[in-house]
Amino acid sequence: MHWLNLLQRACLKAGLSIFIAGVGIGASPGAVAQDEGNLYNTGVDVRLGERYFQRQCSRCHGQDAKGSDETGAPDLTGSLRRASTDAGIYRILREGISGTAMLPVPADTPNPTVWQTVAYINSLRTDPANIDLPGSASQGLALYSGKGDCASCHMIGGEGGRLGPDLSFVGEDLDPDELKTALTDPSEDVAPRWWTVRVTQRDGSVVEGLRMSEDTFGLRVMDENANLWSFQKNQIDSYDREQSSSMPSYSQTLTENEIDHLVAYLFSLRKGN
Amino acid sequence: MKRIALFFLLTVFVGQSQAQQLLQAPITPAFTPVSWERLMNAADEPENWLMYSATLDAQRHSRLDQVNTENVANLELKWAYQIPEIDRAETTPLVVDGIMFITEAPSNVVAVDAVTGRQYWRYDHELPDDLRICCGRNNRGVAILGETLYMSTLDAHLVALDARTGNLRWDVEVADYSKGYSKTAAPLIVKDLVVTGIAGGEFGIRGFIDAYHADTGELAWRTYAVAGPGDPNVSTWADDSWRTGGAATWLTGSYDPDLDLIYWGTGNPGPDWNGDVRLGDNLYSDSALALDADTGDISWWFQFTPHDVHDYDSIQIPILADIEYEGSQRKVMMWANRNAFYYTIDRNDGDFLVGQPYALQTWARGLDADGRPIRVPGMAPTYEGVVVSPSIGGGTNWFSPAYNPDTGLFYVNAFDGEQEFFKRDEDYEEGERFTGGGGQYVQPIDTYSSAIRAINPATAEIEWEFPIQPRSTAGIMSSAGGLLFSGSVDGYFYALDAENGQELWNISLGARVHAAPMTYAVDGQQFVTIAAGNVVFTFALRE
Repeated sequence: MHWLNLLQRACLKAGLSIFIAGVGIGASPGAVAQDEGNLYNTGVDVRLGERYFQRQCSRCHGQDAKGSDETGAPDLTGSLRRASTDAGIYRILREGISGTAMLPVPADTPNPTVWQTVAYINSLRTDPANIDLPGSASQGLALYSGKGDCASCHMIGGEGGRLGPDLSFVGEDLDPDELKTALTDPSEDVAPRWWTVRVTQRDGSVVEGLRMSEDTFGLRVMDENANLWSFQKNQIDSYDREQSSSMPSYSQTLTENEIDHLVAYLFSLRKGN
Repeated sequence: MKRIALFFLLTVFVGQSQAQQLLQAPITPAFTPVSWERLMNAADEPENWLMYSATLDAQRHSRLDQVNTENVANLELKWAYQIPEIDRAETTPLVVDGIMFITEAPSNVVAVDAVTGRQYWRYDHELPDDLRICCGRNNRGVAILGETLYMSTLDAHLVALDARTGNLRWDVEVADYSKGYSKTAAPLIVKDLVVTGIAGGEFGIRGFIDAYHADTGELAWRTYAVAGPGDPNVSTWADDSWRTGGAATWLTGSYDPDLDLIYWGTGNPGPDWNGDVRLGDNLYSDSALALDADTGDISWWFQFTPHDVHDYDSIQIPILADIEYEGSQRKVMMWANRNAFYYTIDRNDGDFLVGQPYALQTWARGLDADGRPIRVPGMAPTYEGVVVSPSIGGGTNWFSPAYNPDTGLFYVNAFDGEQEFFKRDEDYEEGERFTGGGGQYVQPIDTYSSAIRAINPATAEIEWEFPIQPRSTAGIMSSAGGLLFSGSVDGYFYALDAENGQELWNISLGARVHAAPMTYAVDGQQFVTIAAGNVVFTFALRE
């Protein structure tokens, strides 16, 4: 459907305010957000957007919008892979994503409702401009490469170790509280990619490493020397799985202040920075 | 084309003179009309797969044994068909005398040569752009009678297509899609009727089972799956909550010609997770219905989950068999339910015989003597969330189980999972989602596991299991070759020994298997077909 038709239909339902906003802006409904920002972004709008999200979107994306391995719907609480602006999110809601299970919202969904949903999705991410962290990012950088010895396991910008997640843009995916938990209690929430497996082969030799992936018939593992292994389960003796993190907790080795600095640094790691 | 390809194979493997002899055999045309008698005796022509669940008793067991436990490791790919519309393929194709009918997302059909996968014709159903569908653009298969195919469509229509050309014979609206109705399942042919259910249990619909005259598309009967005025069981719905009671009938049933009864499962009551607005048992949601084939009258019903608040649909395929139970032959129905309990039920009258959990569950202490669940208090969804097993997806779901009369075992893909269930207040709005809550995993899905479990229907005991990591949403096919075929979310297609669950063969197809396997034969060669991702793969033995 042409955007003008969409706009006209939306105006009939939504009233004059969206019409005024629409007339002022230009070539597509996306431009509404791009040029003027989302007009539906008050606290009430966010709550109404959340209500709509729970009803229409949560089956695939989850009650908490953190996605679902089962449906394949992505986590919407971190950086969004397919949209970086309000207009982009709006367009995906309106049009769906071709070739995926992401369907558009019903065509007669009022424009304000879609924008409120955009506002809710935006509210799931922590805007660094709205947050005042106690730590210093520059001191955190020094700790990262110094006392914390983080680079021996993590990469930033292609430099560092391979035994932990790439942190180049970690500030977009984790908020400061989550970063602090990851430092002080790294086994609190460990993605399966970072579980450890210990494979005993038929000759009794053992390979231990990170569980890169596992399925019904096979296991792919990276050992501590970054060797990549692939095992067929019917060709090994046994394997054990450890669902905790191999990362040490920094709650004893760093002070509270130092952890704050490290959090500030990690939170600053974003695209464009 | 078929003969030319065969010639090259034969010259390589059996020498030119023999090949020439075989080539002298005339090429016969594919496809002959499928009478009701053929459908009733579908097991006797295992070279064809004539309906969604293979046979009217829905056993999904083929008598083909060319591929067997001794040689299954020699399976190799023969052809692949790429579905042009990218979505999730849940199709079980039919094969009739060398022609395969594949349904595609969103509501299309293609007819291909079953030996090469090359197309005869395709039918693309035109759909409105404001569909109301809960769970993806799926279609699971067609039914056939005579020279006509019957297909459900996402806009809640039933279409009849000429099996030789794909031309549209008739198109009837089963229900108004704008009110939340849709259709995804293969219909079931019973005599001269096309029996078909409806989807939309997440939109506050009122579920039903319809029968249409196969030749005209005229409605023969409709049986509501939600008791309404005139039915004393309407009292199992508080106030007028029956109006939005759900109980979608979104899969395919089975049929017993001797008893002349149609068996069909019904889905969750609506709204799914907030039962406060529909107090009572909510009949006939989450039930098995036995319907008189000529009138649609309910002969008996068995409700698996009274007043369901976890979305434990009971739409699973009813498998029928005659088994020995406590010293006598019984006509039974076997049912592994989404609520994680397995049931064996007398299909004459719906009497519960035996049942117990086949997958992880925490919501019930067990079943009483009538098969009614004994609930664990505090397991209903709350505003804050409560963790319950099985997950919303259930101990199993829509993917077909199978039964092998040789082993006497029932096979099901079981999931040992859990989820946090939430309740929320929601007003009904026509055509909008009406679920009253939802759920989420509390741990990564890799934490959980699945298994194919073999159940003895006389005892409900699990005889063996084959572990799957982490999840399977694929159906199962059994064969006289002593094999079970199935797939998994991790993209494998595999074969097990039906006696003991031993792994015999697997291949990685690279994308989720979300469909059920089927098998057929052409010119004496057995093929095995499975859809994975958006591709239909067909295998046969290496020659």
